[in-house]
Amino acid sequence: MLQIKNLMHKSLIALAGIAVMAFSVFAYADAGEKPSFAPSVPHPTNGTTECVEDEDEMKKNHMKYILHQRDATMHEGIRTKTYSLKECINCHVPENSQVRYGDEKHFCSSCHNYAGVSIDCFQCHMDTPMGKNPHKSNAQVSKPVQSEIADATTTGASNE
Amino acid sequence: MNKSTMNNESVNIERRSFVGKSATAAAALTIAPGVFLNQVHAKPAGEAVTDAKRWGMLIDTAKCASGCTSCVTACHEENGIESHNRPLTDQQWIRKIKIKDKLTDHVVSLPMMCQHCEKPPCVDVCPTGASFKRVDGIVLVDRHICIGCRYCMMACPYKARSFAHEAVDNKVDYQPRGKGTVESCTMCVHRVDEGGTPACVEACSEAEHGAMIFGDLKDPSSEISKQLVEHGGQQIRADLGLNTGVRYRGI
Repeated sequence: MLQIKNLMHKSLIALAGIAVMAFSVFAYADAGEKPSFAPSVPHPTNGTTECVEDEDEMKKNHMKYILHQRDATMHEGIRTKTYSLKECINCHVPENSQVRYGDEKHFCSSCHNYAGVSIDCFQCHMDTPMGKNPHKSNAQVSKPVQSEIADATTTGASNE
Repeated sequence: MNKSTMNNESVNIERRSFVGKSATAAAALTIAPGVFLNQVHAKPAGEAVTDAKRWGMLIDTAKCASGCTSCVTACHEENGIESHNRPLTDQQWIRKIKIKDKLTDHVVSLPMMCQHCEKPPCVDVCPTGASFKRVDGIVLVDRHICIGCRYCMMACPYKARSFAHEAVDNKVDYQPRGKGTVESCTMCVHRVDEGGTPACVEACSEAEHGAMIFGDLKDPSSEISKQLVEHGGQQIRADLGLNTGVRYRGI
């Protein structure tokens, strides 16, 4: 008798669970939103409200835009800002931010960490806006070593 | 018959209006004497560089002061190059050297950097296409493609290139640099594309030596072309036939 009571109790809980799940699916359908566990794209922090492209498009294809711009800038000297990595950072990462690429809170890392994407952009590129205060090198300037220009038949060359 | 006459007419009208506009443009260029429009070389950001220009430098060794390293400091500050206290492998985009004529003992001091050759040996040997020459004559390394093999360093007769052995902490956004690739003078391409002058040339002029001139070798009215016509300019290792973009006087 006790066993039957227990069984009934368990089925009742299961039934309630299914009902809740069904309700939540309807709730999503009502709101017109797709359920997603992916982090949302952080919006610009510099006051810009204009999107470069539609959010879905950027989520899917931002790397293509950046890659295309990379070659155009490097090889043809085209320096438009819209699709440049520099401008991604300038808009989406707050100036003077201490958050670096790799931190959960960094604009790029927030999605890349979730998606398991590893990139090497920031080995060379800045991951925070440079702003008006360029990070001028304060280290010692490289000093050259003793060297000679190859064709020294009548002339000799040495470093200063 | 009628149709073809009409076509001819419409073509002629278009041609006339084009000629008219060109004449107006020419008038606009000459209307203000003393204003040298052709000296402004800033291009719109969205426009690709063309081979209508070839950037070059002329260095007057008579004005280059022995012991002055303003150009070196300016270059390395501009591009965030720092020493790791390993002089054999530290990066150097520009260095000061002395050349001594062994016959006469005459010594000249000059800055040595990428000579931006018309036929760059570094481009010839690059296995990936990372070492390339832009159509406006500036020789660059595309670090996205560079695998760090250093063939170009071997090929360069001027020892102009160096390898980044260490990660870069002091980054600048206009000149991304990092560990594991080869790099050299970019003729401050980020400045040039915006109508500016390379940092070394600016520093030389600020130090009141004025030994370096930067400009368009293809524009006969540019300062550099005028100077070259008047005084000439030698190439270092002219025997290699590389047709360098950097020329020297007094060597």
